[in-house]
This record gives sequence, structure tokens and C-alpha cells, in this order.
Amino acid sequence: MNAMLRKVSVKAVVSNLYVIGVLAIIVLVFTLISPKFVGLPNIINILRQSVPAIMIGGAFTLLMISGNIDLSVGGIVGLTTVTYALVGKAGLPLFWAGVVTLALGIVVGALNGFLVVRLRIVPVIATLATMNLCIGVGKLLAPKGIGVIKGLPEGVELFARSRFFLHMPPALYAAIAITILLVIFHKRMVLGKYTAAIGGNKTAAELAGVNVVQTVWILYIMVGFCAAFGGIARASYLSLGDPITGMGMEMDAIIAVLLGGTSFFGGEGSVVRTVVAVLILTCLAAGLQVVGMPPYWQSLVKGVVLIIALVIDILVKEKIVD
Amino acid sequence: MMHTLITEVRQKANGKGMSNLSFITLAMFGVLVAVFGVASLLVPRFFDINNVSNLIAQQADIIIGIGVTFLMISGYFDLSVGGIIAMAAVLSAYFSQAPSAASFELGSGLGIPYGLALVLTLICCVGIGAINAFFIVKMKIASVIVTLGTLAFSRGIAMIVAQGDQRNTGLPPIFKECGSFTFVGTLNLAVLIMIVLLIGALIVEKKTVFGRRMYQIGANQTAARLSGVKVDRELSLLYMLSALLGGISGIVMASKFNSGNCALGTGYEFDALVVTVLGGTSVFGGFGSVAGMVIGAFILGILSTSVNMLGFPPSLQMLVRALVIIVAILAQRFALDRRNV
Amino acid sequence: MDHKIRPQTVAEAVIERILAEISAGQLQPDQRLPPQREIARRLGVSNSSVREALQSLQTMGVVDDYVLEIRNLVKDFPGVRAVDDVSFNVRRNTVHCLVGENGAGKSTLIKILTGAYLRTSGTILLNGTEYVAYNPREARQKGIATLFQELNVVDQLTVEDNLTLGVEDVKFGFLTKSRKIRQMLEVLRSIEPSIEPKQKVGKLSVAKKQIVEIAKAAASEADIIIMDEPTAALSEGEIKRLFRIIRGLKEKNVTVIYISHRLDEIFEIGDVVTVMRDGKHIATKPVAEVKDRAELIKMMIGKAVFEQYVPREIGAEAALLEVRHLTTDKLHDISFAVRPGEIVGFYGLVGAGKTELARAIFGADRYSGEIYFKNRKLACHPAGAIEAGIALVPEERRTQGLFPILTIRDNIPVMSMAKVACGGFVDSAKEREAAEQFVKALNIVTSSIEKQMFKLSGGNQQKVVFSKCLFADTDLLILDEPTRGIDVGAKSEIYSIIRELAAQGKAIVFFSSELPEILNSCDRIFLLYDGRLKAEIQNGPHVDSEKIIHIVTGGE
Repeated sequence: MNAMLRKVSVKAVVSNLYVIGVLAIIVLVFTLISPKFVGLPNIINILRQSVPAIMIGGAFTLLMISGNIDLSVGGIVGLTTVTYALVGKAGLPLFWAGVVTLALGIVVGALNGFLVVRLRIVPVIATLATMNLCIGVGKLLAPKGIGVIKGLPEGVELFARSRFFLHMPPALYAAIAITILLVIFHKRMVLGKYTAAIGGNKTAAELAGVNVVQTVWILYIMVGFCAAFGGIARASYLSLGDPITGMGMEMDAIIAVLLGGTSFFGGEGSVVRTVVAVLILTCLAAGLQVVGMPPYWQSLVKGVVLIIALVIDILVKEKIVD
Repeated sequence: MMHTLITEVRQKANGKGMSNLSFITLAMFGVLVAVFGVASLLVPRFFDINNVSNLIAQQADIIIGIGVTFLMISGYFDLSVGGIIAMAAVLSAYFSQAPSAASFELGSGLGIPYGLALVLTLICCVGIGAINAFFIVKMKIASVIVTLGTLAFSRGIAMIVAQGDQRNTGLPPIFKECGSFTFVGTLNLAVLIMIVLLIGALIVEKKTVFGRRMYQIGANQTAARLSGVKVDRELSLLYMLSALLGGISGIVMASKFNSGNCALGTGYEFDALVVTVLGGTSVFGGFGSVAGMVIGAFILGILSTSVNMLGFPPSLQMLVRALVIIVAILAQRFALDRRNV
Repeated sequence: MDHKIRPQTVAEAVIERILAEISAGQLQPDQRLPPQREIARRLGVSNSSVREALQSLQTMGVVDDYVLEIRNLVKDFPGVRAVDDVSFNVRRNTVHCLVGENGAGKSTLIKILTGAYLRTSGTILLNGTEYVAYNPREARQKGIATLFQELNVVDQLTVEDNLTLGVEDVKFGFLTKSRKIRQMLEVLRSIEPSIEPKQKVGKLSVAKKQIVEIAKAAASEADIIIMDEPTAALSEGEIKRLFRIIRGLKEKNVTVIYISHRLDEIFEIGDVVTVMRDGKHIATKPVAEVKDRAELIKMMIGKAVFEQYVPREIGAEAALLEVRHLTTDKLHDISFAVRPGEIVGFYGLVGAGKTELARAIFGADRYSGEIYFKNRKLACHPAGAIEAGIALVPEERRTQGLFPILTIRDNIPVMSMAKVACGGFVDSAKEREAAEQFVKALNIVTSSIEKQMFKLSGGNQQKVVFSKCLFADTDLLILDEPTRGIDVGAKSEIYSIIRELAAQGKAIVFFSSELPEILNSCDRIFLLYDGRLKAEIQNGPHVDSEKIIHIVTGGE
């Protein structure tokens, strides 16, 4: 009995420590290469850049715990930077621009949910379609030629760049707040429990009376909302509206989730570990930049990191099962 | 295949009923004709012969569509094809570029004879296919995730070798032949390659044991294993074939533009999905056809060209693709449900 | 009203009222009482108090309280009547056992109770009110919970989370720890205190997971818990614990319907036993009134007239298949041999290990030990087995044997594509020929070979699976429950096919849980129980069915 409990906590501790450990190692390595790495300006930079990914990562994790996937997050981010920019330029105060944008995120999320649970279209195809839809609409809304929307109103960059508290921008605190809310959702709210139940054993959940359709639909809406928030942060950071700025973020999200130890078979996972994994990836990206790696290496690195994450996932699973 | 189709149409006339696959293929052919008709009416100068032959030249979609269709029939995804196209394009340029003490790196390649360069390129592509096969078949990881990774990986190689740009100097004159060598009118080598591959694919699909196995694996992998089908081997070969086809497509595209551009093929993996699904191939496996995929490619081609010629912004293309795939899935499901009840 | 010193419970008040009504002549003692809810409403008390009261009255012998009444239940499938005018009652708070051979109708009956099937005709009364369930969830909500072989727990959640799944107390979307949850945990603790509520269910043993399911059902006030072969995967100690829990359930107002082939268990834990045979109800008796196993067995097999087995001449050739010391997780040291032209049968009930053995021989699962086929060691994978000359007709045709959306023509050549192909290219004419040949030979009812498999009936589907194996022209055929879920007509067709194959010199290994078909087809019969080979019997007129059942239900 005790041995069993010991094994349980060992695994839990190992999964949680290992992400933090990897983060520590990466920070250490890059600091050795360039002591400026742990300097305040760099830390601020890294955290500011992580904001959209942190915002998306949590909800994405929950969706994957339930056994579903959403490949449209990158598209939603792009579209929402465009709408935020447009509404802002149209004269509305930025706050209301944000509200409208978040509403749009909810709408797209609801659309994803509709396609997946009501029309029963395979999530991969449904969300790939919405991704194209979002990028397409975003491109339509952006001016021909340059493709991006510039000239955003004064103060747009405050959200993602200003030194609001402890040198960190409000966007970061928003991301932290979202993360905390999602953790509460996962651990303390009934829908959070249902998320894990559906991913763990959908038949058992249905038999017990869980409304699978409703729960999964809500999860997709949450992802849409968070992606929209990420879009607002991105638009603020770049002072731009750019429909393709989010491309590849779905891949980043998947890598972060896998690196964070969430099984893609569903049922188990951790929002916090995903967020730490996001930090690992941003540190890695920043560190490689410091080292002088040209930007066109990014794609390869991403691919390699994903493959490494998969390998780790397999090894860890087999070790624990033994 | 045409013969089978005709026989089945005759059988239907005799009340014997045609298979679901023929029904869907025929239905989509009908949609193609309808779309063609509407486009001819609505779009000014649609009937320009150049335009029509441009449609025939949707070769990239069709060539990679073969691989994607085969894998979908078997019940799997391959999202890495877009990246493989870029990788093949850039590598074919890099390998055959003349080495020079040029002022910038991008102008200097390995100077390998073109034929050999192509072989090497294709070997690299098959290598990517092998990586896919390893993680998906051996490690049993979801094909979506693995192929997203190899998509990034292969495009990454393309971007590194082309340093984010393209390699278009110092290429041997034969480099552009694939894409521009024409014999009958506008029929160029690229189109010929596409036709040859298509015929090959149709033969494989309808007439070979290898082709039959795809359907068996897709229809019920457990039963296939219990019936002695070497499932792992077949799937691995399919992934390598898909990568190979991506490579051929990339080589042809590089030839057409006479440049190895690392941005080639962006989004093509989704296009391949669209035309595959449009053609009637079911995401759940065991059902579908390359013939349908070709029809789907033509339909998409007409829609794209019409959008262009009607003066809509190019970004509408993405919207069109998104809507088309959803509508296709729903419509085909509806049609088959009603037919089979 | 007397002033009693100790406070009177509501239940006792109810009892008093009912007794009063009986003595006042308003209620006949053996008249069926109105439904619980009626009584509860009339007296203005809760359902559970009424239940308690009725339980006491029943113990006192005053009333007959049936939790379940089945009247003239009939269930028809195309071509077969699985449940034939069955009627019996289940008393509240008893352990009511259901026994019968495979095909006796037990599982169909249970499936009707759990909402998986809809009855054809007849009535079911639960607590006196008409009961019908269209799906398992509805059944559960109405008070009938079932412990299936596949556990319905979520491994990734804790025990507490599983118990409360679907019935949580929620405040503004948040999970709250309410009295209801504490009560549920109490139920769990009273059932099995060693299970901690905060443990992850995935870490528990199968036996404990089962207990969690039982606790969930009991805690959600299920009236009946159906247990279908619950001890199949349990150790001795775990079985003892399970029985203790079941006895405890009776005191919690839960009635258990217990299905098992292990007759000893019936005697140990059962209060009442119902025997079914051939879809009919044979008898329902208190276990105390059943003399011994033999009496039960006699009822289970009745005077069934088996088709006369005709002893055949088997040549004294060398063994075609030799299995030596085969062992897997479930199987222990199995050894036997099969000669060409022989039909060897393996008989055992659920959980005996038949499918495990069938798959192991075919190479679909790993094993330790050795298998020699045609004097050469057999490799452990299906393709190798087929190449060597062994084909398997799997247990579940829909998920393992055929390709539902493909046509008959596509299904038949799968095991032997080389026969319809030349150098990798398929000859459609040969495909068609093969399909038509088998459609005719096996009498497969279909308008065309281009029909998709899912449109065929069970019997015809199975014939196609047979055709697939026969087309491979192997020397040995392994059949795992080949006639399951098939109508009588198709069954006898399959038996003649088997006999003919043997006459042609093929060896057949026949796994089944239906004794009649084993007895009428097989030359030699092996008996399996709990993964072990218990006996080998030569078939003939002297065969003692009762002794056979005795062995496969755990006897020696």
C-alpha cells in the first residue's frame, strides 16, 4: 500500500519537477553563454513575448485533456489582431475594441464546437477549415498590398509593453490571471472534472450522465476566447494587425502541451506544466537568438523540439508503466 | 476504371445498383460539370483555352493528393507534404547549383549533375517519409501530431538551405525543363509527369494487391491484422510514397519557377486534404478514390480561377477552401446516409 | 398512540400503519402492495422509509416485496427467439442468481434490463411500476445499475471523483463538498474501508475498481445491481471480499442479480436461483432448497437431445499441430495435439481462456511455450500462421473478422490475395469467381457479391468470414465461437461445413461455450476452466454431460 502511494507521488513529483528542471537547465546554459541572459531587460523581453502563448496554452491543454484538438488557434490570433486594430482605428476606445475582439473569439470558438460536436466533423479537419477561414477573413479585412494594418491609436502598446507592475506589462498579468482561472476551472469546477472524465473514459462519463456535447463545446469556446485575448496581446506588442502573425502557434501549443507532459490520449494533464513549457520554448527561442541563430532556423528547431517532446513522452510513459 | 464506371452505370440502369464509391465519384463529376457550367456563364472569358489548360495543370495538388488520398483511405493523415515540397525544391536547386566562389552563399551549390541531384533529393524526401512511418507506425503516435512535426522539420530544412530566401542562380539549363518543356501546345513535361503518376496511381488503387490492402486496413485494421495483412509494412511504404510524391511535386514546381524557393508549398497540405475529401474519400478510412480526388482538384481549380477572374482578392481563396471542405463532408455524408437507408 | 420511551422511526410508523390496514381488512396480506411511491405519497413520508418498512415486513413474512417482476417477457431477433415467455420475480434485498448455459437467454434478458435491447413483448415491473429503458444511462437513472466486464470507471480521476461523477453537488459551477458526498464516502467506507477516496482509480487493482463501481451504484441508491461474471478476473481473497460486500449490500436495501457459471459461488452467496435454458424459464428456487450441483446441472441441460455424434475414423497419422506448455497471462501450461482430419473441441464457459488460446495458437498474442505445426516451429504472428497453413475465424466477427464497409467480393480474398493476383496485380475475374463460388457453396443469402458486409445478416456475415478462411485453403482451421449470434438454420449449415472440411482431411480446432454444438461436432473434447486444461474426453455415446458441466464450472 505504502509502496503504491510512494510510486504515485514519485511520478507526480517527477512530472512536475522535470519541466521546471528543463527550464532551469536551459536558463543555466544560456546564461553561461551570455551572462546578459538573466539580466532584467532580457527577462522582461522573454516574458512579454510569451504572453500570447501562455494565454492560449492553458485552454489548449484542457481541450487536449478532453481528447480533442484545435488547429485554428493561430488563425484566430491573426484574425483578432486585425479586428482589434480595425475597431481601434475606427475610433472606439481600446477597451471596447478588446471587448468586441473577445466576443469574436467566442464566436469562432463556438463555430469550432459546432462543427465538431454537432456536425460531428473530425476535429482535425474542422479546425483546419476554421483556421483557413480566419486567415482568409483576416486577409480580406487587411489592406491590399501590405497586408497589415498600421497606425493603431495611441497607447495601444501599453497593454503588452508598458512597465505596469514590477516592470511587467498588464498583458502578462492578464495571462497569469487566465492561467489561474483555468487551473481553478480544472481542479475545482464541475466542468473541469468532466473534461478529464471525457478524456479518460468517454463511455463511463456518458453513462454517468455527463453532457459530453455541452462540455466539449464550452472547451472550444474557451480556447477561442483565450486565442482572441492572445491576439489582443500580440496586436498590442507589435502595434500591428496582421492576419498571418499567428501562423504556427497551433504547433507551438502542441509542443508546449507535450513538453509539459500532458498525454495526448487525454484524461490527464496540467495547465501549469504547459505554461512552464511555454517559458522553456520562449527561453530557447530567445537564447538561440542571442547565440546568433538566424530566424530561418526556427522551423527546423520547432520540428526537432516536437520530435524530442514525442520521444520524451514515450520514454516517460514506458518508464512509469514499468 | 472508366470501364468499371460504365459497367456500373449500366448495371444501375438494369436495376442492379452501383457501389457507393461509384455513386459518389459520379456525383462529384456531376458537381464538376455544374461548377464548370456556372463558371463559364458567370465568369467573363472563362472559356479561354489557356485558362482551361491551366486548370489541367493543377499538378501540384494532384500529385500530392495521390499520397494523401492513399493514406486517408488507410485511415491516416499526412500533413507534412507542404514542407516536403519546399524541401525538395530547395534541395534540387542546391544540389545542382554550380559551386562558385560567388559573393554570396546562396549562389553556390554542390554542382551535382541534375539527374543525380534529383535522385538525392528524392532520397531525402523518402527519409522524411521514413521518419513519419517510424513515429506513426512503430511508436503508434497520432499521425496529425507527427506529420505536423515533420512539416515543420522539412520546411525548416528548406528554409535553412535557402537561408529564408531562394536559390535561383547558377542553375543548370536543364533545371527548368520539367516545368517548361512543351510538346503539344501547352502540354508540358510537368503535366505529362502528373498524368503518368495519376495513371500509375489509378492502376495501383484499383488493380494491385497493394491498393486493395489500403482499403482493408482503412476499413478494419484489427481484422486486417488477423487476416495476415502486413499492416505496418504497408503503412510505412505509404508514408514513404507520400513523401516521394511530395518530392516530385517540389522538383516540378522548382523547375517551373526556375528557383528553389523555401516558401513553396505553403498551405498545400490543406489543399491536398480539401481535394481528397472533395473527391469523396472518407476521413474514417476504407472508402475513396484517386479518381475522385482529381475531380475534386478540378472543382477546386475552377473555383479558384473563377474567384481570381471575377476580381476577388486572393485571400478569398482560403475562405473558399474552408467552406468547400465542410460542405463536401456534410453533403457526401447526407447523400450516402440517404442512399444506404 | 402509545408514548414510547425510544423515539419511533418513520419506518416503524409506516409498518404500524400497514399492519393496521391489514388487520382492518383494508389490505390482504398476500395482495400486492401499491407501488412504493404511492405508499410514500399517501403517508407523506420518504421513499427510503417505505423501503425500510417493506423490508422489515418482508422479513417478518407479512408481505411479499418484489423489487423486480418479470411477466411473459419475450425477445425476438430475426430468425431466433432469444427469450421465450419468461416470468419470475426477484425479492428485494436478496442475492438472486441467474444461471444457464450460453444461448440460454441470460445475457439477452440482462441486456433488456440494462437498456441495451428493447423487449419484444411482456412486462417488467420495477418496484411495482412499469419499467422500460432505452439506453444504459436511463436504466441507471431508474435504479438498475450494472457491473460490466469492461469497467466503467475513469482511471485518471480519484475514487471520490468517480463516485460523484454525474451526481455532483454544484454551486455556481463549483464543486462543493456537501452532505451528499459525505454520505457517498460513508457508503464506500462501510463497503471497503481500505480504499482511500483520494486515490487515483487507475492505480487500483481490477478488484478494487470493481468495488468502486459497486459503491457508486449503492451510493446513488440503485435498487438493483446486476453483476455479470464478476469473479472472472479475481483472486480467491478478492472473491471472498466481494462476497462480504455483496452480503453487506443487502442491508443497504440493494438487491443483487448475480450471473455466474461458477456453481459453487451460487451455493455460497446466493439466496435464490433462477435457471434458464433455450430462452425459457426453467425454475426459480431458494438456494437452500437446491440439493446439490447435480440438480442445478440437470436443470441447466435438461433432456436436450443432441444430434447424434457419429464416431469417425481418424487416421493414425502424425500430429499436425502440437502445442507444448503454452502459457500466457491467463493460460497455464496448455499442451495438446491435433491430427489431420480431426475435429478437436475446447469447451469452457466465460473466462475459461478459450479466446486467449485461439489467438495464441494463431500468433495474434504473445505466449511462452512452443507450437509445432507440420513439424516446424510456428512463429508468433498471423501472417506466418496463414503462410504455414492455419486460419482463424475470430470471436467477434464485426470488429475482428470482417470489413464492414467493403463488399463480399472484397472480403473473401483478404487472407490469400496471391490466389486472385498475378505478380501483384489483381485479377477481378478471379475475385468475382471466388466470391461467387463461396456464395453458392456456403449458401450465402445475398442479391449480389457487391453488397457491403454491414448489410448482411449475422449468419451470412459469418459465412463470409468462413469463406475468407476457406479460400486460404489452410490445413488447420481455428474457430472461435463460430456460431455465436446466428440463427438455427445457419448454425446447422455451418456444422455441415465443418464436418465436410474434416472429411477432406483438414484439422479443426473448435472453441465454444455451447455444449450441444461441441458434442455434436467434435471427435475429442478438451475442457477448460480458469485457463487450465482440466480434462480430455473422447466423444461417444458414453459422454456424461453433467460431468462435463461439473468440471467447467469449477468441479474436479
